[in-house]
Amino acid sequence: MSKPKRIPGRSVPPLRWPWLVAFFAGSLTLFGCGSDREPGGEGITTILFKHGKIAGDPAKLAEIIAVFEAENPGIRVKDETLPASTDEQHQFYVINLGAGSADFDVLSMDVIWIAEFARLGWLRDLSHLLGESERQKFFHGPIEAVTYEGKIYAIPWYIDAGLLYFRKDLLQEYGYSPPQTWDELVGIARAVTAQEDELYGFIWQGKQYEGLVCNALEYLWSHGGEVIQNGEVVLNSPQNVKALQFMRDLITEYQVSPALVTTMIEEPTRHIFGNGRALFLRNWPYAWNIFQQEGSAIKGKVGVCKLPAFPGFESASTLGGWQLGVNGNSKHPQAAEKFIEFMTSPRIQKRLALTVGYKPTRIALYNDPELLREQPFFAMLYDVFTHARPRPVSPYYMMITQVLQPEFSAVVSGIRTPSEALQSAHKQIVRVLEMGD
Amino acid sequence: MKDRGEVMVFPAGAALLLVAAYPVVLVFWFSLCRKNPIFGVSEFIGLANYQHLFAEPRFWNALKNTVYFTGVSVTLEMILGLSVALLLNRVFRGRGMMRAIILVPWAIPTVVSARMWEWMYNTDFGVLNYLLGTQVNWLGDPFWAMNAAIFMDVWKTTPFVVLLLTAGLQVIPRELYAAARIDGAGGWATFWRVTLPLLLPTILVVLLFRTLDAFRIFDAIYVLTGGGPANTTETLSIYAYKSLFQTLQFGYGSALAVVVFVCVGLISVLYIRLLSGQARR
Repeated sequence: MSKPKRIPGRSVPPLRWPWLVAFFAGSLTLFGCGSDREPGGEGITTILFKHGKIAGDPAKLAEIIAVFEAENPGIRVKDETLPASTDEQHQFYVINLGAGSADFDVLSMDVIWIAEFARLGWLRDLSHLLGESERQKFFHGPIEAVTYEGKIYAIPWYIDAGLLYFRKDLLQEYGYSPPQTWDELVGIARAVTAQEDELYGFIWQGKQYEGLVCNALEYLWSHGGEVIQNGEVVLNSPQNVKALQFMRDLITEYQVSPALVTTMIEEPTRHIFGNGRALFLRNWPYAWNIFQQEGSAIKGKVGVCKLPAFPGFESASTLGGWQLGVNGNSKHPQAAEKFIEFMTSPRIQKRLALTVGYKPTRIALYNDPELLREQPFFAMLYDVFTHARPRPVSPYYMMITQVLQPEFSAVVSGIRTPSEALQSAHKQIVRVLEMGD
Repeated sequence: MKDRGEVMVFPAGAALLLVAAYPVVLVFWFSLCRKNPIFGVSEFIGLANYQHLFAEPRFWNALKNTVYFTGVSVTLEMILGLSVALLLNRVFRGRGMMRAIILVPWAIPTVVSARMWEWMYNTDFGVLNYLLGTQVNWLGDPFWAMNAAIFMDVWKTTPFVVLLLTAGLQVIPRELYAAARIDGAGGWATFWRVTLPLLLPTILVVLLFRTLDAFRIFDAIYVLTGGGPANTTETLSIYAYKSLFQTLQFGYGSALAVVVFVCVGLISVLYIRLLSGQARR
């Protein structure tokens, strides 16, 4: 190898690096020495609040944060939005909390993560914020979901649950009332679709993903079944076999659900129903406002009720929604707790309901005259939310759902019989729980 | 100093080691551990992950899906790509424009085109059923789902094959064709005796690229079916993703990733040997 030669006629490029050094040095002074104390503001604590995308206008959240700051002069709140997909948010928290990050203080969490994060010691115990009497003021489902080994690890912020949308106009025309049982739903759907062209009876979400588990559990629960009871796997039971068989029968035997439901997630089903192409739809409350928008094909023709049940059993909805917790490594746990108490207080939940449509987790708000005047839909939701049940509250839920998704998918697409699928899933979940012990 | 080469490449070498070799070694190490933060375990278990893996039907199913996807999609892409490249190699008006247009599917990000195809495959609204006048549940039927994903991949990556093969075709000297014509070779004979042998090195390179890419297929299928129905479209990469990022089984997921790595490595070695055999001739 020879020495590197100077290429004649080309001069050394002008020095760029001093600028780079200056830039990095500058950014260090800006970000590197971040302390809790804001310059000039003695004793001011800044907390960071991580959350998913705010539905509707993000400025509404900023206004609410401004109220908090005005009432708590010693605390500043910075909020940061995470990627829209729930999976990515989970990934973010796992990576950061797993590495012991103290960069953020308050985090909003999906209902299925609490037990997992709590077991890993990533969340601060918030039991002292929710005494026994205070817990009674919330819907039961979310409280169950934030409780792990008797302690509370997050405060329910807003609630979500599966419900049944139906075409009010068509039911009226054919003289039916909303179905109370699954058999009634099948009967009505068969009778009406026999008369109407281009109308599906009942559509739901059957693609292999988390939403399928949400759908399937509603059938299991409304037939007295369960996945895990008192730490014992009870998935492979005759009730569950029958309930799952019914899901498949909706497509093949009764032919009220088209085979396309086995590839559907929420939005495509919402489109089909929204175009007036289906009589019944299982979905979450978000779809209501879209159906009632100006220009919607079914504006004013939609009703909602809680999901049907099998005769002799209670209706059950899968619980969704978001909860606020405190990072176990937070440097400002007191300020963070104060902020969570504020965000989940009745007045702020009411304000969020009025401005961005978040459904309150506090029962009393469903009797609030002003709220009901502005959002009459909420009155109908009360019944649904009291029947909302959390998916198995287990730190291993993410593994359990990975077992359930392909097995449920196999049943609804007719690849395996319900008893084969449940037997296989049962065995796998037993193994997951054993690994955890 | 006689030779400062090593010193000069040190920063680049160190950077490469840090960003490429370190993660690979780490994944190998993880694959020998039981490592899952949820269970609070992190221990060395030797080859137990691999034992478990090779005994697990889900792994063999994912491997079978991956091999099927790779075999069918790469074969179709090569046949189609070669045909289109041969057409585009002829001189005709608007050839430049055709070349540009044909690249469009390849230029669209995979996730975007997968979403697009998801709607086109939709049983109810989908343009495909509309055109065919059918009611096929493309993504929900265990037979069609994988083939639908393959079809999308063929649509998307054939342009890439065309691009490379066109480049290969252009370096074949015109004189050879002229000579073949003088010797009385017809179009078919010219293709078999002149074009194909001279294009073979390019074809092997394209095959290498495409096979490696197809074997690691993730995004298109993940968006289209999520691995469903009932894992009939789950490939090794999707299974590895679910193990690593959704259920946080870092050890087991790493073992899966290593298997993909080894398979891809073997495929590369095979192709590279074929290629060097070509070069020696």
